[in-house]
Amino acid sequence: MTKPIVEIVGLRVGFGGAAAVKDVSFSIQPGETVCIVGESGSGKSVTSLSLMRLVEFGGGEILDGHLMFQRGDVTMDLVTADAATMQSIRGNEIGMIFQEPMTSLNPVFNIERQLTDGLLMHEPLSRSKARERALELLREVRIPEPERRLKQYPHELSGGMRQRVVIAIAMACRPRLLIADEPTTALDVTIQAEILALLNRLKREIGMAVMFITHDMAVVAQIADRVVVMYKGDVVETGPVAEIFAAPKAEYTRALLAAVPRLGDMAGQSAPEPLRLVGDTHDPKPLTPRATPEPLLEVRNLTTRFPVKGGVFRRTVAQVHAVEDVSFTVNKGETLSLVGESGCGKSSCGRSILRLVEATSGTVHLGGQNVLAQTKHELRGMRQHMQMIFQDPFASLNPYMRLQAQLTEPMQNYGLDNREERAAQLFDRVGLPRDFLRRFPHELSGGQRQRIAIARALAVSPGLIVADEAVSALDVSVQAQVLNLMMELQADLDISYLFISHDMAVVERVSHHVAVMYLGRIVEIGPRAAVFENPQHTYTKSLMQAVPIADPNQRKLDGDLAFKPIPSPIHPLDYQPHQSVYETVGLDHRVLVQAG
Amino acid sequence: MQLRRGGNSRCFTPGTCMTYIANRLLSVALTLLLISVITFMVTNILPGDVAMVIMGTQSNPEALAGLRESLGLNDPLIVQYGRWIGGMLTGDWGNSLVFKEAIGPLIANKVAASALIVVMSMTIALAAAIPLGVWAAVHRDKWQDTTASTTALMGVSLPDFFWGIMLILLFARYLGWLPSSGFVHPADDFIAAVRHAFLPSLALGLGLMAHLTRMTRSTMSSILSQEFIRVARAKGLTEHTVIWRYALANAIGPVMTVAGLQVGYLFGSIIVIESLFNFTGMGWLTYQALLNRDIPLIQSTVFVIAAVVMITNLVVDLLYAAIDPRIKLP
Repeated sequence: MTKPIVEIVGLRVGFGGAAAVKDVSFSIQPGETVCIVGESGSGKSVTSLSLMRLVEFGGGEILDGHLMFQRGDVTMDLVTADAATMQSIRGNEIGMIFQEPMTSLNPVFNIERQLTDGLLMHEPLSRSKARERALELLREVRIPEPERRLKQYPHELSGGMRQRVVIAIAMACRPRLLIADEPTTALDVTIQAEILALLNRLKREIGMAVMFITHDMAVVAQIADRVVVMYKGDVVETGPVAEIFAAPKAEYTRALLAAVPRLGDMAGQSAPEPLRLVGDTHDPKPLTPRATPEPLLEVRNLTTRFPVKGGVFRRTVAQVHAVEDVSFTVNKGETLSLVGESGCGKSSCGRSILRLVEATSGTVHLGGQNVLAQTKHELRGMRQHMQMIFQDPFASLNPYMRLQAQLTEPMQNYGLDNREERAAQLFDRVGLPRDFLRRFPHELSGGQRQRIAIARALAVSPGLIVADEAVSALDVSVQAQVLNLMMELQADLDISYLFISHDMAVVERVSHHVAVMYLGRIVEIGPRAAVFENPQHTYTKSLMQAVPIADPNQRKLDGDLAFKPIPSPIHPLDYQPHQSVYETVGLDHRVLVQAG
Repeated sequence: MQLRRGGNSRCFTPGTCMTYIANRLLSVALTLLLISVITFMVTNILPGDVAMVIMGTQSNPEALAGLRESLGLNDPLIVQYGRWIGGMLTGDWGNSLVFKEAIGPLIANKVAASALIVVMSMTIALAAAIPLGVWAAVHRDKWQDTTASTTALMGVSLPDFFWGIMLILLFARYLGWLPSSGFVHPADDFIAAVRHAFLPSLALGLGLMAHLTRMTRSTMSSILSQEFIRVARAKGLTEHTVIWRYALANAIGPVMTVAGLQVGYLFGSIIVIESLFNFTGMGWLTYQALLNRDIPLIQSTVFVIAAVVMITNLVVDLLYAAIDPRIKLP
């Protein structure tokens, strides 16, 4: 066995007294991809930042342990290395990429400067030679028109392109180890697939080792050679990827894997079904729809456009066609999911239905009444029947109000009685202890807050709940619990959900019907089984191809992937969009016809 | 400020830049017109008039009426305003009642004197505030930060004439290093001019510095916690480069904008400080004009100060756009 490129021994890292990493040991072999997986607060990022000795800049301190790093024939301990040595290692022998491509690049320097200054630091190059290398790097990460990019600034590039630039920066000096800290978490699924394929290729060609930090078991299954599972600052399990997925030893790993919805899990099922979590005793019941569907929400030809202002007089110069001729029906007690990538109009669609933004045209009938035709006063009454759960449970609760007040406030608005009793019952319903009623939001965890957000939506007994990325910000285990809660509530209270999400696996788990959105239109709509098991539209197919599957036996990231970039939804004022025309390909299963 | 983010090419191109400057100058001109109307109205609504100021309150009513007639004070206000603004536009700003000389050259002279103080105090403030603010941001929540914040708070809480008095006592009275009052024109003796302008500039600079330090600190500390700073460190750049190039390049725009807005505040402060140091600049002149009800002079000084402040802010906005590629000039 060759010597490991890096060996972490008994690492312990503290932040002002509290230990974020308690006792972590593992090693990485040359040319190997090791995935560090864990939920928020597990210490996985802190471990990677310690290896670069960057943790000190964030107020952390390495309290104990060794970071043995192989340099040539010498093994040195990075814990005791001085600042100058670390500088010569960073970016040179260890490269690193981060989570947020939108903020990873300096907004006031152009791409060339950001690509070359690391090179000039570590290698004796002339400026023109460095520029040539920068061009080469951009070609390597498959950026179109690399010459033009060098002179551009970060805000002129898309998120996927920025992440490619960040990778190019990290690869500049041909590091022997690349640390990737959640490099695809903020990206759309097709771009994620492209970036993962790119990392795989670069790893093969250059033969570098990769330390990949992620919370996403599906990504782990796709790229890892070995896996390190972390929980609350400790390593709970280490092993080859196949073993971890096939026969997890640690209880935490088993629980984590049980909580991950896998694309394809629902094949052959007729109705959504809660996930079977470890330690969950009661048998989950499937959400069989009623024999004769009863429509609750009927959306017809919904169109929403936002003005783009320009010029000295701030006139409307163009329009964003956010939602374009969208029609669908949500039945009582059922879930329809709107799925698509960022900017496809799924959120605008949900907001237009609730009239949080005003639609340009179309009709929205809720229980027979047209929501879009209501006066302000009437609308207020209607809002009792349609509620919303938002993505960020930290931002959607008022930090100055006790939870009880936040739950009783909507009831007070609609003149409901027994408010305090009802609030307590809602707490029971969403599985929170009643003594939490007196607490403030900051005293709760993210999952608990999202339960409050659900309870608040339920407070006025609505028929329809629009859930906009309601579980996207949560850890997998918490996400699974919240999803199960939502499904349980649906079974008991006969609620309908309009479930807006970018996560295909989650959508597959919860939906009765699915609508795939692209550029403001629904390109494919139908029963869950039809859309997932027999996708017809090319966009649905490429989306399905891009979704990573949490199974190391189903890898699909070979070769370079290049999905068609999504065109701009901004059009001049005189632009006349065509109508959405659908072809029926199965029972209730319709596909957008490519119109000319 | 009409700046906008976005766009898909480097926005600071000569063509758009010239249109932008033309638009902004037009809006400066319109604002000045409005200011001229307001100052003219206010000075006319106040009791007493120019004739009274010239002849004194004890003067003969008939002589007063004669003077009023000859000065055109009996004409309708609109006619008087038209005559005044016409003069302003053609360069004939009239005569000061107190100084008995043409207002145009008088103001030009004093503007040059005050410019020396404004530039020096701003330089002193920026030269101290930026390093201090960066130092505080780099050592956030440590003793360095507390020290810098306390210093800044002291600077803000104490009025600048207090600093003026303290500086006179220390540097002029006890140490005798610098003159306590007076003005020397830079063209006559540059060293002497700077020596005379130094204490008033320092007194003004201390107050400015406090604001700018706080601005630098808060901008820098939010920038230092951003991911691109981590990326810069992960590239192996030195701390010096990371802080003084990567971070400061992002912080300098907001700091300059605040500095630009403070030029307006400075022109308020120099009224007190120039009088305290007997430094004969615009502040001193405005004070004299107000004290002696020299109405033509008041109108002109207000007008000039407004113009200088507006043009300074235009220059700052252009500089901001030159530094930050995300800013698009409309």
